[in-house]
Amino acid sequence: MSEHPIRLVLEDDLERARFTVLLRWLLAIPHYLWLIVWSVAVIFAVIASWFATLVRGRTPDALHRFLAAYVKYATQLYGYLYLAANPYPSFDGGDGYPIDLVIAGPAPQSRWKVAFRVILVIPASVFATTLVGLPGWSTSGGTRGKTSSLGFTRLPDLVLLAAVLGWFAVLARGRMPRGLRDLIAYGISYGAQVWGYALLLTDRYPNSDPQAALADIPVRHDPAWLEVDGVLERSRLTVFFRALLAIPHFVWLLLWGILVFLAAIANWFAVLFTGRVPEALGRFLSAYLRYQFHVYGFLYLLANPFPGFVGAAGSYPLEAVLATPGRQRRWTVLLRVVLGFPAMALTSAFGAVLSAAALLGWFASLATGRMPLGLRNAGMLALRYQLQTTAYLMVLYDAYPYSGPALRGEPADEEPPSAQAISAFG
Amino acid sequence: MAEQPSNAGPAHTRLWVALFTAAALACAGLWAWAAHALWHSTVPAGLKLPYVDPRSFFSAHFLARSASYERFLDIDAVLREVVLIVVLALYARRGHRLMRESAAGPIGTGMLLGMLGFAVLWLAELPFGLAGVWWERRHGVSHQGYVAAVIEGFVGLGGRFLFVSFALLLAMGLARMIGRLWWVAAAPLFTGLALLSTFLSIYLIPNTRTLRDPATAADVRRLARAEGIPGTRAEVQDVHRYTTAPNAESVGFGPTRRLILWDTLLDGRFSRREIAVVSAHELGHLAHHHPLRRVGWLALFLIPATALIALLTRGRGGLARPEAVPVALFVFVVLQLLTLPLWNIVSRHDEAEADWSALKATHDPAGAQALFRHLATTSLADPNPDGWAYVIYADHPTIVQRLAMVEAWQTRRAR
Repeated sequence: MSEHPIRLVLEDDLERARFTVLLRWLLAIPHYLWLIVWSVAVIFAVIASWFATLVRGRTPDALHRFLAAYVKYATQLYGYLYLAANPYPSFDGGDGYPIDLVIAGPAPQSRWKVAFRVILVIPASVFATTLVGLPGWSTSGGTRGKTSSLGFTRLPDLVLLAAVLGWFAVLARGRMPRGLRDLIAYGISYGAQVWGYALLLTDRYPNSDPQAALADIPVRHDPAWLEVDGVLERSRLTVFFRALLAIPHFVWLLLWGILVFLAAIANWFAVLFTGRVPEALGRFLSAYLRYQFHVYGFLYLLANPFPGFVGAAGSYPLEAVLATPGRQRRWTVLLRVVLGFPAMALTSAFGAVLSAAALLGWFASLATGRMPLGLRNAGMLALRYQLQTTAYLMVLYDAYPYSGPALRGEPADEEPPSAQAISAFG
Repeated sequence: MAEQPSNAGPAHTRLWVALFTAAALACAGLWAWAAHALWHSTVPAGLKLPYVDPRSFFSAHFLARSASYERFLDIDAVLREVVLIVVLALYARRGHRLMRESAAGPIGTGMLLGMLGFAVLWLAELPFGLAGVWWERRHGVSHQGYVAAVIEGFVGLGGRFLFVSFALLLAMGLARMIGRLWWVAAAPLFTGLALLSTFLSIYLIPNTRTLRDPATAADVRRLARAEGIPGTRAEVQDVHRYTTAPNAESVGFGPTRRLILWDTLLDGRFSRREIAVVSAHELGHLAHHHPLRRVGWLALFLIPATALIALLTRGRGGLARPEAVPVALFVFVVLQLLTLPLWNIVSRHDEAEADWSALKATHDPAGAQALFRHLATTSLADPNPDGWAYVIYADHPTIVQRLAMVEAWQTRRAR
């Protein structure tokens, strides 16, 4: 498939100025005002663009340039606010900002897709809401959500939470953790594609695949990883009843989970005193993790077949690949629950992404018999983070969960604990 | 020395045949004895029900309306069952192809096939269920919405999935452990689970609360003493969001024995005397151990049913193999449908005993007559349904039969 007409370009070195980070949301006040003014103009421009595109089958050049500049500017501003870039952005959405967009010129568009754009954009907007929020949308509402007069800044979902965690990390270290930066960049990239689609810059549907959002995906050697086969075909019958079919597994997960809870406590004590996971406990906890993620893979439509009940390695298309636990630093073991709070918060936000991907995938699979690759990979990112968080909290490993899109390298089984892994907030 | 032809083989076989026949006869005798014991009733053996003309209790308009109302529901039910059998037959034939959707072992795959069987049934039954909802709404018997009905059915399917998974886990587990004779162990095991479920059923009923109305509570206490089960607790189940139909039930045994009154019975439409008759009827079930007797009948059904399933699934390698599950499901559901008239005979027998028990406890035939008339009018129940519908679907005596029993009780009392 050809490249998406709206692509993110990221040339950021992760270095941040602590002082501007501290005051970032205040420093951006002039931009808020400018964004509001520009947004008013965009409302009229997009209405004109809709009529023109509907009649001509192509957006007029001037309108396309104007709307593209607006989307670029908003992307740069979000990048600045969410700490995905360091320098203060310009007010014209010009080229050269460390987080920027490349937007292709006007191309012929299907008139049907233009006519019904407002409806067609709804599924993408729902998904974007879980990542970055959209004007006028709120998944959390009430005390957490904030909407400006034009509804443009706003929703504390995955990206905002990543930015808040990044804010603390930057103030402490002067560097943005790459996992958080890449996660934010993914969210911003998807949001920009949704806006580009809504504003008629393209009729290509937004791509939710995290692997496709960034040009440079790191290779990771994490001890806990999630792999899945390439099969996207889904049985409509089992998709329709998926949540109900998983009920026996929920019961078994619950029963097994009681023992796992006790085993995890025993494991915590064992690692605290010996620095190592006892072999039998490691096997027991790993088997449960494998089983748990087989079930989640089935439930969230990331894999098709009904899973078995024992968590056997290699028995399911979606596999939690778990390295042999190595030595761990005892102070991180002692403080594991406290250290795990940021990851738990992020896991919770990833949960919304996972649910949205599954819900949209449910409709898509029923309609086409296939799970869209983008949604599958977005779900995989969310579930991988959940796996790594669970393994971290079970004290199987002390590698901190990594939140950004990544490729898998072979894990080093006896790798000594790295300071980067422990403190990176992934 | 030349060898003599041996007669040991045929003699041995004859011995086994004789032993098997004797054991089968003994089992059949035991089965019949148990059925006879369960059939015992306190309704006088020679009780003759007098003829009751429904027109003397109900208007011609009501009789016509209720007959029309029930006929539609009966036909809807028959059509649903025909479709159900056809769908299950197709599933029995082709359902094993869905094994490709499983990465689980034999039992897990069997569970999947069992659940998908129920899912297919639910989909096939859905139009008929919605037709029933439409008909009930049209007649003001129910005000449940269509979407709510679908969602409720879908959520309820989760309970059925859990049930079938657990049942298959046990049955297939036994089949894998002990082979062809799995049913010998399965029947008592399932009976034991049914007993446990009956014992715990009060905890499985949603939206219940303690009966607070002092007058009704006092009546229940008095009637429980009269029925010989003092101290039986009464609870109210909130169902008014789904239906306007009045009802009550009796659940549990021993310490979990409860009388459940629907809140639609207590909404002011029924008099205190009528509610007392309903309470006495349900207490009658408890006094005569009907919940336990139902488990006994279930055991008598399960023994031949599981044996038949074991026999008919041999063609697919027996119940130890997942491909046999669709066949087992088909056999089980068809057996249930075929034995439905027998279940109804047993149920009507118990209900008649509970009615008789209520008359003895309340000594209020006028209250009972008023109740039965009132029940019929609020539920739009046909007092004298068609014969075929009565045989297939009536798990209670008809309203006319119940009114006749009241008259029979009065006649006996007058002697």
